[in-house]
Amino acid sequence: MSPVLEVADLLASIGRVPVLRGVTLHVNPGETVALLGRNGVGKTSTLRTILGLLPRRGGRVRFNDKDLATLAAHQLSGEGIGYVPQGRGIFGNLTVEENLFLGLRHRPDPSIPDYIYARFPRLKERRQQSAGTLSGGEQQILALGRCLMRSPRLILLDEPTEGIMPKLVNEIRREIAAIAGRGVAVLLIEQNLRTALRLASRIYLMEKGVIVHEATPQQLSADPSTVHRYLGVSL
Amino acid sequence: MDLVIALTINGLVWGLIVALIALGLSIIFGLLDIINVAHGDFFMVGTVLALVIAGTTGFWIALVLVPLLGLAMGLVVERLIIRPTISAASLTIVTTFGLSMILQETVRATFGAQPRRMAAPIQGTIPLFGLEYDVYRLFAAAFAALCIVAFFLFLSRTTLGTWIRAVRQDRETATALGIPVVRVCAFTFGLGTAMALLGGAIAAPITTVEFRTGVDILPVSFMAVVIGGLGNLKGTVAAAVLLAVLEGLISSFADPTLARITSLAVMCMVLLVKPRGLFAGATR
Repeated sequence: MSPVLEVADLLASIGRVPVLRGVTLHVNPGETVALLGRNGVGKTSTLRTILGLLPRRGGRVRFNDKDLATLAAHQLSGEGIGYVPQGRGIFGNLTVEENLFLGLRHRPDPSIPDYIYARFPRLKERRQQSAGTLSGGEQQILALGRCLMRSPRLILLDEPTEGIMPKLVNEIRREIAAIAGRGVAVLLIEQNLRTALRLASRIYLMEKGVIVHEATPQQLSADPSTVHRYLGVSL
Repeated sequence: MDLVIALTINGLVWGLIVALIALGLSIIFGLLDIINVAHGDFFMVGTVLALVIAGTTGFWIALVLVPLLGLAMGLVVERLIIRPTISAASLTIVTTFGLSMILQETVRATFGAQPRRMAAPIQGTIPLFGLEYDVYRLFAAAFAALCIVAFFLFLSRTTLGTWIRAVRQDRETATALGIPVVRVCAFTFGLGTAMALLGGAIAAPITTVEFRTGVDILPVSFMAVVIGGLGNLKGTVAAAVLLAVLEGLISSFADPTLARITSLAVMCMVLLVKPRGLFAGATR
């Protein structure tokens, strides 16, 4: 089984400062993989470079055995890559429904909005409201729903539980697990180690623009010194 | 009293035309983050093209053709001048200033330096508040208002309009969602240019047509955008009408220079007291 996403020796810079110094990772179909590391090690830059939002200075990104270098950044969502950026990327001046359908060239299979509205009745009630009036948790649900509208094969999630009220964090986790349960592969950036340990089947640790460690959640749970060394937290 | 009423109506007519032009300026600024110094000259080109085309095919055809030519011109300018320099905002001021001079000198070389006037396509007057008022001026106001409404409907009801609003807010997420941001920006520049030329076509019969008119309309449009609140399109419309009425009244009772000074003073006060614009909070 070949990976759905294969990243090799990825290099990127912001201005003249190198932020990625050869990132290599892969995500298998249907698998949830977490990318962890301290602030500023290049986690978000990794996602942005995969998506073509940050220029790639070297290396390869293959999705479904297709080299993404041949595509413009806006074409990736049509290929089946969903993205929820840090801070959720909700368009506050657009309605909930406009957010959901944004960027779609064709009306999706109607079962998808039906599924999303059935799962999140609050979004259905508020579909004509400005998305800016939703709470942080609701916006995150909307951002996840918006990804699903495209029937993606892979979703890149950048800190989905950041800034969410603690009592809603579990709900967000459940939704991510449900997305993975639909066979969608997930590449997840998390500050919250517990979220990563619970959701991911594999975890990459990153430092200074490279992947420095790869482990399963069980291995990482049993290795407090590595956790402390790369994440600066105790288990 | 009659004079005040007449001047207020004149201000309203002119304000709606300025609003159309300022909206074009505002969406270009909001989306591409550039200050288009040539925007006033796009208006001027609109007046000139309207006069020339009206002379051969009639005004009504000119009214349709001029904005279409504006769209085409905007797309060409975006590709040749804006896109290559977009990464440096200060550079776009220089390039659009150069474009402004090219447009003015091209018009002077071909159309001539002499100011011309154009006959109103609708003759006659109707009584209004005890005055005999030009029918064409009323048509111009109504048509400009109609175009403004159409513009807002386009932004709120169409897919492309929704994309423009999304790109204005978050270009990167819009890209990741599949919106062709580069093409949306190009179209927006074309649309903004078309609105300036359309404003010129509507205004041609009620203003002098010459290569310098853009120099006068640009500051008013900028002030409308600033007073209305950057990015607040409805505020821009309100501010444009307000400024035009104010400038019209002051120009007649004092002189145009004092009118412009007053507008600038109003803008400074707004920037000091409500830096996000007189109508902040009404954005959508």
